[in-house]
Amino acid sequence: MARGGGNRSRLLLVILLVTALFFITLDLRGVSLTKGSRSVTQTILSPVQKTVSTIFSPVGRFFSDVKNFGKTNAQLQEELALNKMLKSELAMSADTKGQLAQLKSVLDLAGRGNYKVAAARVIARGSASSFSQTITIDAGSSSGIRPDMTVISENGLIGVVKSTTSSSSIVLLMSDPSFRVGVRIARSQSVGVLSGLGASNYSLVLLDPAGTIKTGDILVTNGSENNRPFVPGVPVGVVVGVDNSNGSLTQTGTVYSYANLNDLGVVSVILSAPTTAPSQPILPTPNPVVTVYVTPTPTPVAAATTGPTPTPSAQPTKKK
Amino acid sequence: MSPVRIISTLGFFFVLFVIQESAVSLIHFPISGFSLYLAIAISLIAFEDHNGSLVTGFLAGIVLDLSPTSNAPFGQWALILTGIAFLFAVNRDSIADLTSSPITFVIFVGAGVTLSLIAYLLFGSLLGEENGSLKHDSTILLGNLIWTVLFTPIFLPALSRVREYSLTARERV
Repeated sequence: MARGGGNRSRLLLVILLVTALFFITLDLRGVSLTKGSRSVTQTILSPVQKTVSTIFSPVGRFFSDVKNFGKTNAQLQEELALNKMLKSELAMSADTKGQLAQLKSVLDLAGRGNYKVAAARVIARGSASSFSQTITIDAGSSSGIRPDMTVISENGLIGVVKSTTSSSSIVLLMSDPSFRVGVRIARSQSVGVLSGLGASNYSLVLLDPAGTIKTGDILVTNGSENNRPFVPGVPVGVVVGVDNSNGSLTQTGTVYSYANLNDLGVVSVILSAPTTAPSQPILPTPNPVVTVYVTPTPTPVAAATTGPTPTPSAQPTKKK
Repeated sequence: MSPVRIISTLGFFFVLFVIQESAVSLIHFPISGFSLYLAIAISLIAFEDHNGSLVTGFLAGIVLDLSPTSNAPFGQWALILTGIAFLFAVNRDSIADLTSSPITFVIFVGAGVTLSLIAYLLFGSLLGEENGSLKHDSTILLGNLIWTVLFTPIFLPALSRVREYSLTARERV
């Protein structure tokens, strides 16, 4: 490369790096230009995401469905021929049914807590090029949704509204490493902080030094001032492991969430919680356990071999 | 790089960004997600000459910074992809040509994607962002590397052809 060309390249590199650093500085200083650009992008993206989500959701789980294909090639050919005409229609129908079931469950949960909610469909998931865990939903400020509102699914808490446009909102999932929520142990009412770890498990740190965590403890949200960002009493998860290592001031534990963040189709944003009475925790409904009592019936053969069957009248009586 | 090409590249990256955010991100890939955007951006950076690489990297970063789901400050991706573009520009002889050594090219694209994600993590940590556990981050990096290496050979020929059409007669020489 010629000397002049080399100098020009270096100058170009410096200019581009300085421009990038200039943008970063502006953003960190809170200049609205950079924040506004992301809001505009979200406004442009959300209609496209809605459309693509409608078409794309049946094939979104393609890779997880592949491993379930245990059928023979001949059977598959037969099914393909049979379902050729109705394939897309059935896929859409199954998708709609699944979403309806989720919507029913999430509204059931919201109803138990007397929450006023806005239901929304998940239209996109966070980008793979960033490490933040988010979803985009198809309801925004026109539905009454504002930043810092609690978002629940059919099983409990899933996250908090991060930003909104008029027709869409971005929800920060509870699995995001930056997510923190105050929780209460339903058994002992001890308060702690739950943190996302980026995966399906979460870290719980108890605030009370005298408090104890037990495996199987149920956690509910502790609530925030004016119910934002968190309303109280929403089921969060269950403790699956306790760290009893010496040296720490308070106990820590590992928690699994009730909500499956990988299967979110329909969610609800809590617009307002009841203010008249202290909110009771909406504990998850236990699965009904069927108890079967088995009473052994004496067989006639056994009765014959052991002699005459005692009757109430044949009982020995005490003579006076 | 001519102003017309800068605008067309910016438009191309924006369309790609919309596809990534609205379609690719909906797919539940095993291990971890795949960033089609980063794979194509790094491939284009590798195609370009020295100055072209720098400008392409910067433009790709600026569009990626528009992501509303990102926690990072605006300009972070621009800085990182300009840096990665510089690394590609100074190591152009090692990367070789797509047609003469396609496997080496794909490996370099995979390495570029992984390196840019590592740089994103490190830079984010310097700015105080929460990035999660090492295991979680390693899984994302590994997943991205695997999917990039698997998918890049599929779109690379088409991408090369599209780029050829976009070049002016002078740039072709």
